[in-house]
Parts: sequence; C-alpha cells; structure tokens
Amino acid sequence: MLSFPKSRMLLGLGKRFKFSVPTRSFASSNEPDVDLSQSEVRHAASLSGNQGTEQSEYIKPWAKRLDDLNQGARLPRSVQALYLRPLRRKAQYGLPVCDLQLRSYSVRNVEFFADFAIRAAYYLKLPVSGPVPLPRIVERWTFPRSNFVHKKSQENFERITLRRLIQIKDGNPQTVQTWLAFLRKHSFYGVGLKANVWEHESLDVAKTMDDAMPEIEQSLEPHLSQFGQRKDRGGDQSILDILESERFTKNKGPLTDVRRG
Amino acid sequence: MSQFRAKRLDLGGFINARVVRDHTKRKVYEQYEPERQALRYIIRNTTLPQRARAQAQLQLSQMHAYTRPTQIKNRCVAGGIARSVFRDFRIARYQFRQQALAGELPGVKKASW
Repeated sequence: MLSFPKSRMLLGLGKRFKFSVPTRSFASSNEPDVDLSQSEVRHAASLSGNQGTEQSEYIKPWAKRLDDLNQGARLPRSVQALYLRPLRRKAQYGLPVCDLQLRSYSVRNVEFFADFAIRAAYYLKLPVSGPVPLPRIVERWTFPRSNFVHKKSQENFERITLRRLIQIKDGNPQTVQTWLAFLRKHSFYGVGLKANVWEHESLDVAKTMDDAMPEIEQSLEPHLSQFGQRKDRGGDQSILDILESERFTKNKGPLTDVRRG
Repeated sequence: MSQFRAKRLDLGGFINARVVRDHTKRKVYEQYEPERQALRYIIRNTTLPQRARAQAQLQLSQMHAYTRPTQIKNRCVAGGIARSVFRDFRIARYQFRQQALAGELPGVKKASW
C-alpha cells in the first residue's frame, strides 16, 4: 500500500532530487552546498574502484561523501510522508458513506490508529473527514477500601473511553469495505472499531426490490417452510390434554404433592 | 438440587458450592423456560377455558424452584461473592479494587477530580 513509486506520484514532488523539508521534519538540510544529485553519487561510486590511478574532480574525499549520504540522500517518498501530516482527497459531493468510530482507553493508541486509517483511506482514494474527537465516556466507581464498617474511607476508580470519528465521503461501497477489512486486518492493540455504513440507492428502488424478490423468496423457502402447524400433530388435542401430558406433569418440584387422608 | 447438578464439574474459574448451585440454577432455568412460558401463556389467555387456566396456574406453581428466573443471582467470578457484584466486570467490589490497583482491568485507573 505504501509503495514507493505510487506515493511519489501522489506527493506531486516530481523528479526533484533535493527534498526540501518543513520545520518539523526529520532530516536536517542545514548545508545548501551538498546539493549533490543521485546520479553524481552513483557516478562517483562507480569510479571509486580505480580511484588510485586517476583522480577526477568529481570524486570527493571519503568523509565528504559519507556526509553527503547522511544529509543529501533522502528516504523514499512513502517513508517521508509518514513524518508529515496525512494527505487527504477532496470530496466531490460530500455525501457521507461510512462513519468509523475508534475507541480506546489510551490517547496514543487511538491517535495513532486514526492517523493510520486516514493514510490508508488516502491510498484507497477515499475522501476522509476527521478524526473528530467525540466526547469522552467517563465511568466512575466508588468502593469502600475494606469492610463495610469502614465506609468512611472509600476509593474512586474511573475508566475513560476516548473516541475518534472518521467519516468517509462519497466512496465506492466496495472500496469502503476494502478499507474496513484492511483496518481490521491491521487493527491495533487496545483500539476498538465501530463502523456505520450507508448505502445509497437510485430513486427507482422499488423496481429493483421487486426484481430481487424471486431470488429472496427462493433462498428463504427452506426457512419459511418450517412455519405453520405440523400435519401429523393431531388437531384434536385439547388444551387440557396438553396440560396433562408428560412434559407438563413430570417436572414437579419436591413437596408439591398433596397428602391425602 | 442434586438431580439437576452436573455429574462432572462443568465450570471454570473460581468455584465453591454456591457458585456451582447458581450455575445449576441457570442451566435448569434455561432448560425449562419453554414449559414455563407455555404455562404463563395459558394462564394469561382469556379465551381459554377457565379450568385449563386454573390447572396451568397450579402446574406453574408446582414447578421446581430451580426453574424460576428469580433464583438466579449474579456472583463474582473471581471470589464467588454475591454482594456488590458489578455487571461491567462481573466482579465484586473487593476483587475489583485489588485487580484495578494491580492494573489487570484495562483502562481502569484511580480517579481524582
């Protein structure tokens, strides 16, 4: 999913060799003079075999080259994207298709997984809004610390459930299912998922339902045939006979028989 | 009652006599629920003959006590205690306190506000 060429294309940075990074980036680009292109590095590396025989001005000293590798080389775009804010698609119509609620007791887990879900949605070309922090659910319990005599000394416990809402807008239902399946497959520990999925139908929905009816009837036939009264039951059985049947008379409790005489 | 109790122990977790008894009651109630509901239906159905309804009343009242849902009482799964058992965790208050302080209940912390 985070394949390199795809993400490079999506990032829209094209074929620039030097990756200029904003303030909260990981790679320091303090020295502007190490703007060495990849091809030059490769060229230098290939030449390094016969370094002893001829010295060209392309070849730099070892220390300088290692320094260039550290500061001038860049990570794949997909890895670089992880250090930046998640990318998003623009919704064309803004029609909500799926509400995903993430719940956890830990902020780190739920934040991390929300971020993951948004990135996954981007690569599946699903427009996303969120994560919306929903109100926390606070449950509190109070217990006496020891026996009931010491009721005055009590202790409070609480459990705070944190929630994040991620909404998918005008996505293909199948893609949404793929996204949900991907999130379930890579679900994170301590994070629960709850998804409300809406499907939209065209205006002549009654016609399509009528068309689907024979198939549904056929699939329901074995179940519906179980309903109704059995033919071999014996219709003349009165309610008093049922009450006197073994099923209703045998399950008596102890000491329920009336003593006679 | 012993005629309902399983011949071999069919329970895990904390076990004492009262836990086994409560477990037996749950199973018996589940087994006899259709009979109970049938009798209750006959009793409440005013279209049936009065004699049948009265007989159903008697039979319902004569059913074994273990078939009643009111006999079932939630018990602590960690200590068998029947009082102050919390539905969220199925644990009584003292076990809850111990486990919460040990960090064994996910998300539960000491509160202060």
